[in-house]
Amino acid sequence: MRREIPGYHGCYLRINLSEESSTAIPLDPQILRHYLGGSGLGVAILLHERAADVDPLSPKAPIAFVFSPLVGSPLTTSAKFAVVSKSPLTNRINDSLASSGFALAGKKTGHDAIVLVGQVRRPSILVIDDDQVRIESADDCWGLSNRETRDRLRLRYGNEFQTATIGQAGERQVRYATISHDGRHAGRGGSGAVLGSKNIKAIAVRGTNRPQWAEPAALVGLAKQLSEKSFGPATAKYRELGTASNLLTFNRLNVLPTRNFQEGSFAGAIAISPEELSIARDRARASCAACTIGCEHLYSMKNGSGSVRLEYENLFAFGPLCGIDDPEVVLEASRRCDEWGLDTISAGGTIAFAMECVERNLLDEPWLKFGDGQSLLRALDSIVSGNGIGGLLAEGSRRMAHHIGHESIAFAPQVKGLELPGYDPRGLQTMALGFAVGTRGADHNRSGAYEVDFSEAVDRKNVGPEAAPLAIETEDKAALMDSLILCKFLRGVFTDFFAESAEILQLVTGWDVTADELRETARRIVTAKKRFNILAGWTPGEDTLPSRMLQKPASDDLRGHLSLERLNELISAYNQARGWSPEGWLSQTDMQSEIF
Amino acid sequence: MPVTVKVELFGIPRARAGVAQAISSGHKLGDVLSDMASRFPELANCCIKGRHLKPGFTANLSGHRFVTDPETLLSDGDSVLILSLDAGG
Repeated sequence: MRREIPGYHGCYLRINLSEESSTAIPLDPQILRHYLGGSGLGVAILLHERAADVDPLSPKAPIAFVFSPLVGSPLTTSAKFAVVSKSPLTNRINDSLASSGFALAGKKTGHDAIVLVGQVRRPSILVIDDDQVRIESADDCWGLSNRETRDRLRLRYGNEFQTATIGQAGERQVRYATISHDGRHAGRGGSGAVLGSKNIKAIAVRGTNRPQWAEPAALVGLAKQLSEKSFGPATAKYRELGTASNLLTFNRLNVLPTRNFQEGSFAGAIAISPEELSIARDRARASCAACTIGCEHLYSMKNGSGSVRLEYENLFAFGPLCGIDDPEVVLEASRRCDEWGLDTISAGGTIAFAMECVERNLLDEPWLKFGDGQSLLRALDSIVSGNGIGGLLAEGSRRMAHHIGHESIAFAPQVKGLELPGYDPRGLQTMALGFAVGTRGADHNRSGAYEVDFSEAVDRKNVGPEAAPLAIETEDKAALMDSLILCKFLRGVFTDFFAESAEILQLVTGWDVTADELRETARRIVTAKKRFNILAGWTPGEDTLPSRMLQKPASDDLRGHLSLERLNELISAYNQARGWSPEGWLSQTDMQSEIF
Repeated sequence: MPVTVKVELFGIPRARAGVAQAISSGHKLGDVLSDMASRFPELANCCIKGRHLKPGFTANLSGHRFVTDPETLLSDGDSVLILSLDAGG
């Protein structure tokens, strides 16, 4: 029996692709209040679906597209959805978020989430039109890029349908393939490979169901205030320069990962910086639906291939990490990843690792060299074609290291199999803790612990256990933002994030929710992710960093030194502050509590 | 005697000041911020209030320690980095 509450539809749509059947599964109000939406509700659904111990690329594996109570509201940056599944890259929980019209149209189908299980026999498009579900041939789309697929489906279905697609990388089940919507990606952890394993090239959604808001007039007023604040100084960096402006700052602080984390600064940084690119190239701005920030900065290609979105992470991954200072190459690599659906961080990280293996004579691919832009582009091509070394690169750096041996795992830039983003953990040691304990692996979106390092609260190069609760605070905030869902670039506009989020939820849902309740909710969500991982086979030894990063640094290394012993102290402090065992195990109560 | 420091600007502070670097002098962080505010009005509008950085911005000494207290003592040859607090990518 479905019980609707404001902001929600009170059910998720479960589609069995093998049987070509669908069912609306009721979501109890208490589940919604405990897990909210997005990442939180997604992990709850995956636990309910018993997804932890299945092969993520098998037909049995579920993948959930999860909306949130705020989707469709007038609140800025709220048009977001989470894609939650077991990751084929890490074999642990994966929640990746994307934005825009797919979230709005998907929620209007009348469901709080859409969950796919099973597998269709032939490449297909899944069409969801309100509560009507049908499967159509994708024969004319298979082999096309994300953009080509979107354009073809727009012609086929019209503009009312919104589509989430996979590119050639998802079709080939590259373990870090993305799911794309309108040029944005649910990027990390390989959700595109999960969709590809089900032979689903795209999902097209359209709907007519809008949930009510508990207090619509007050919500509109609050949304207006939030929008006004979003034009202020807290978001100026994102609006005016974009995330890529981190590059020169990180370079100066010696935390810009360079040549597969062998150095912390890059001599060619200025040449590829957004400050320099803005002089030589046309630049345009774009934003997601229902967003007042507009953080996307697109730079024109000189080869006539149009414009490319440039974020700090793709800039770092195809620039310094691979030793490349040619902006045209960085933009072209980013463009290809957009088109083919590859996570730029994992692609850059895996290729940089391979470059170092070549340098150390562990890999016989002499053409693959740091600083050689054409070899970067050739390596990307091989990942998607599967030719030559591409099959190995498609597995990610951890599997590649196990294949190569010779202790190369020591410098594979990954935690739990997920390649590190562009923050050198030796010089940002609270972030190092966030990377090590992160449930989806090394990740800057599920832990914002770099904020602590960028403050007076700690010495970023010599962090002690006092940083653990501060790291937890950033992780809990991220868990709440990813479940409400609101964009993290908005976080600077809140004075008291938990209290203001409670006010928002009150107006949307009518719940008498408080800041303290939301703190508890955030912790519950983080614990649920940990529970999923334990069920999937997590052991404490996974919570660490590549051993290269824990070895004694050279005497002139300005990045600082983090020993294994000190990292373990931080992890133990983190686990105990979370109320878990010092090693990170959950209590029997946490492991056995009812989800649904 | 006031000490001479190099001020390095990143991101929005750089865009507002229109320069990447400047030379300034003073005993304390607040002295340098006041000096920069008087010389670069747009930087002041956006990032500096009196002897303090506005919310959303921070300072760093020579690439090592983050500081915000205007009474922070400076040494000759220090670099004062002024940058956006938000480092999300």
